[in-house]
Amino acid sequence: MNTVLVIQSLISGIMMGSVYALLGVGFSLTWGVLKVINISHATFGLIGAFLAYTLLKWLGMDPIFSLVVSVPLLFFLACLIFRFLIVPITKAKDVIVTSMILTFGIAIILENLMLLIWSPDPRLLTTAYTSKVLILGPFYFQYPKLAGFLMSAIGVLVIHFFLKKTYTGKAVRAAWQQPDAAQLYGINLRRISMITFGIAVASAGAGGVGMAFLYSFDPHAHNLWLIYLFLVVIVGGVGNVLGAAFAGLIIGVITGLSLAFLPYQWVNLLTFGLLMVILIIRPHGLFKGEV
Amino acid sequence: MLSVNDLIVLYQKLRALRGVSLEVAEGDLVALIGSNGSGKTTLLNSISGLIPAGAGRIMWQGTPILGMSPDNICREGIIQVPEGRKLFAQMTVEENLEMGAYLPAARAEADQSRQMAFDIFPRLAERRRQTAGSLSGGEQQMVAVARAIMAKPKLLMLDEPSLGLSPLFAAEIFQTIKELNNRDITVLLISQEVLQTLTISNYAYVMENGEIILNGPAKELLDDPRIKESYLGL
Repeated sequence: MNTVLVIQSLISGIMMGSVYALLGVGFSLTWGVLKVINISHATFGLIGAFLAYTLLKWLGMDPIFSLVVSVPLLFFLACLIFRFLIVPITKAKDVIVTSMILTFGIAIILENLMLLIWSPDPRLLTTAYTSKVLILGPFYFQYPKLAGFLMSAIGVLVIHFFLKKTYTGKAVRAAWQQPDAAQLYGINLRRISMITFGIAVASAGAGGVGMAFLYSFDPHAHNLWLIYLFLVVIVGGVGNVLGAAFAGLIIGVITGLSLAFLPYQWVNLLTFGLLMVILIIRPHGLFKGEV
Repeated sequence: MLSVNDLIVLYQKLRALRGVSLEVAEGDLVALIGSNGSGKTTLLNSISGLIPAGAGRIMWQGTPILGMSPDNICREGIIQVPEGRKLFAQMTVEENLEMGAYLPAARAEADQSRQMAFDIFPRLAERRRQTAGSLSGGEQQMVAVARAIMAKPKLLMLDEPSLGLSPLFAAEIFQTIKELNNRDITVLLISQEVLQTLTISNYAYVMENGEIILNGPAKELLDDPRIKESYLGL
């Protein structure tokens, strides 16, 4: 086996994995903190990708700068969805299942809106640096992947530090660990939940741009992305941001290595097969679930 | 300061509280005693806004607070140390204290409050970077009280602060409560440690089956034959 090729596919896997991590972190948070399994999480990511595509095509805006538009927009949209759709279902007996059905509906509506606006054609983010490559010794780094990697790494770290270092972030963790006590000390649960949901969905938008750097996408792409989200949460532990980040990297590396050494048809088979094995050995995931 | 009038709380169609009335004056240390399931915790949680009341009135400094959300009741300065402590177990001692001072008014004075809490519980200063869940029961209770101190309480309500603690720790907690009261914090104390509770309190209420069956100055209740028989085992 060729060492350079192994290291090269590790690099490529880590770069892909960081994007899965950013896409998955918010999904993990809404699941852990709010007990909402947001099936439409990846769909919001896809909206981020399409917004990046349109802003690039019409204004020549770099996909990373498009986040200045899409992140606040998705945050605001998520707050509205939380207020008018999620809050009513929190009174349901089984919030998790009800939330899945509700957000499944949201995903279908959004997918069809995207089909109307952007048509079913597959899209690519074609920037000035799409075909540029950074070469370091025997290794090469494709610029779009490098951009996606840096953006995702920064995104995950920002969310991590938000939860660990800011007052509002700590309140999110407190509300998750002890909802009653959090309220007794002045934390407004509904407001904190809305902020959590908003941040999760906005980070999905950024993750979607990262995915668009890696793959072509169409309005149906979120269905496959969603499966990666579940993998990230199951391996990384529900609500665990750093766990999700590591899970993303692991999945990326498995995919990267199998892409290099196996026929394409085997890649998903191996990725999902290995994760099933992980689940059989460690049913609670590799990491503890915690915010 | 706080007055509860004819409070009725239904819990799964059962009457958990059947017309409870109670007064706490400013600067007072009032005890609420009674056996398990008599409704003490329910009363505290209705005052804190965690449980909706069926009927009755709760007045706080002249304004009704029944129906207000728990975070707004906290804003009013009514702070509860809940039963079982309910610490943020995966957060450090310091972060737990920080969350106690979550509201802007308390946050502005967080440094002084933290100093006061560490003066009262020097041990917590040593353990400040440990997660709350890793501490012993007694230390966790200290964190729970310290977190409440951070919230700048006008009325401090404690629910069974000595539960599960060694006698030594329990005595220390009761002494701390008395000390906080001496520092102008009004206290409403729930406890099954009847002797110690009545010893430090000025006034006491006895609850049974969701009703106040007895009330009076704590010293008089200590001599009451019914208290002696049912709660002190004399």
